[in-house]
Amino acid sequence: MLNKGTVFAAIVSAGAVTQVSALESKLNGIIDYRLAHSDTSDSYRQGGIGKFGTDNGGQAYLGQAGLQWVLEWDSGLSFHAVANGYLDGEDNGLGITETFFKYRGIPNDSGHRLQSKVGLFYPAISLENKAFAWAAKNTLNSSTLNTWIGEEIRLLGAELTWTRLGKLNDADYDLSFTASGFFNNDPSGALLAWHGWTSSSRQTLWGEKRKIPPLEARKSGFKLEPQAAESDPFLELDDRPGYHLQTQVRWSRQGEINAGYYNNNARTDIVEHGQYTWLTRFYYVGARWLLDKKLELTAQYMTGDTLMNDVYGRPVVDNDYSSAFVMLSKRIGKHRVTGRIEEFSVTDKDQTVGDNNSEYGKAATLNYTYRYSKPLFLSVEHSWINSDRPGRVYSGEPADREERQLLLAVRYFF
Amino acid sequence: MSAPALAIELNVQVLSASGEPLQDMVVYAEPLDGQQLPATDKVVSVGQKGKSFAPYVSVSQAGSDVLFDNQDDITHHIYSVDSDARFSFKIKAGEQRLQRGLDQSGEVAMGCNIHDWMSGYLLLVDTPLFGKTSQAGAVSFDTPEAGRYRVTVWHPQLLADNNREAQTVDVQNGMKVTARLTSGMDETPEQESDDDFDFLSEY
Repeated sequence: MLNKGTVFAAIVSAGAVTQVSALESKLNGIIDYRLAHSDTSDSYRQGGIGKFGTDNGGQAYLGQAGLQWVLEWDSGLSFHAVANGYLDGEDNGLGITETFFKYRGIPNDSGHRLQSKVGLFYPAISLENKAFAWAAKNTLNSSTLNTWIGEEIRLLGAELTWTRLGKLNDADYDLSFTASGFFNNDPSGALLAWHGWTSSSRQTLWGEKRKIPPLEARKSGFKLEPQAAESDPFLELDDRPGYHLQTQVRWSRQGEINAGYYNNNARTDIVEHGQYTWLTRFYYVGARWLLDKKLELTAQYMTGDTLMNDVYGRPVVDNDYSSAFVMLSKRIGKHRVTGRIEEFSVTDKDQTVGDNNSEYGKAATLNYTYRYSKPLFLSVEHSWINSDRPGRVYSGEPADREERQLLLAVRYFF
Repeated sequence: MSAPALAIELNVQVLSASGEPLQDMVVYAEPLDGQQLPATDKVVSVGQKGKSFAPYVSVSQAGSDVLFDNQDDITHHIYSVDSDARFSFKIKAGEQRLQRGLDQSGEVAMGCNIHDWMSGYLLLVDTPLFGKTSQAGAVSFDTPEAGRYRVTVWHPQLLADNNREAQTVDVQNGMKVTARLTSGMDETPEQESDDDFDFLSEY
């Protein structure tokens, strides 16, 4: 006989069944454990001037524990949350790197499709960091260009992408245009100015601050005295949205190119609790191309500027910057060899005393990865960076520095 | 009541313009003399395997159900944008789905909204006499009714009007027809991602 309880249970379970059939939950991630030996200075991650993610000497550490959770509805709507954890004694952290809703519509009969994202997400600039939780695919350290994207660039806002699918238009490429509006990226540019270009696998967590290296100009009586000891890249200080525009062309079985423009559209005369607004803008272009089925060429170039004024509107930090890399990756069965060369610069255009941000450098990375089993990758990677950065004298080190890092890593994807 | 007529076998061989047998070409025969042919009860299966439509080309009689069969260990989001047969659905790893309402004849281009490189075709025809050619380029039909038929060869990469070439055949006894195409064939696109890394964070 039915009683109230069974009727209730039946309704609840019917509801649960409906929900389960309409929703799919996926959990993926990466565990990356490393041994490092570095010939460098103290890492930029702790306010040092070293360009790698680790300090001088040897260490064993958890390079990344990344988890991404995707909840998908049948309609094309999905929810994405990405968390990353780092345990290496530098600046241990666990937190959110992205969280957003995404809707991808079904193409219409002319092959046009709309997609939108709302929330916190990366602009799709990096052609390296395409693995789960924004891990780099073929190397352990990302290029200087994409290490900076992972450190200071994040969009909290909305994005709309229009795509024309080639297969429904007798074309062998898909063409996309993306426009985004975002908040909470006003101090971006500060870390690039003050520690220069760096190379690691560390992404900044939402809300996380990063120590800036010693600057003469932060001393009492100097121009940057109000600047806090840590920079917080993800603040909204001027209540003005920034924007990002991108076009992407993707050829089936061949590769892709992207090009775009980022402008955080910040006012340049605000400082709150030691955090300034920085007007940061850059153009970029990138390509990923299969030279043959197992030989992949990736190249990216970025150039831009960043400007920070004092509250009277006089320039304090005014920099141009650029970074470029070319990477070749060859797979032979379970073996993959990747080589990457880079060139980067920062040009300091202001006259601020005790704050020279100029830099010029080159980097080379060689990675060998053995795919032990489907999810398990064993890698050895050597990186070399040679850079001239006059601002190193504020830390008592010579301007010109050659740094090296050897990494051994076990990466497990699930 | 007359006894059912004995089936008449119609063999078709499809050859390229240069005389090579062509595999996986869709062939169908439509009656031209008002012959009454019972609708087929054949349910055609469209598989998803290795992140591709397998087979790339399928053919079914309009009005029949079509079985979608996901043999991959991931979800696909199958769609068609053709106005007469518009559909979209997610199909999880290992699931099968019977798609109804494919009542209008015509060419249905299908894709996956998660894996943009996936591309497949379903041709819906108004006759129960349909098939695809073997490696030797051959296909055969059994029809209960003699008379004239239009025998059509179709393939999405056949460089002809509407991607098809047709000829009229008067079928009396078992007979063999050669369809030597006058148009060339475009290359069949490979359904393959431009990135073979297994742990990409897309979609």
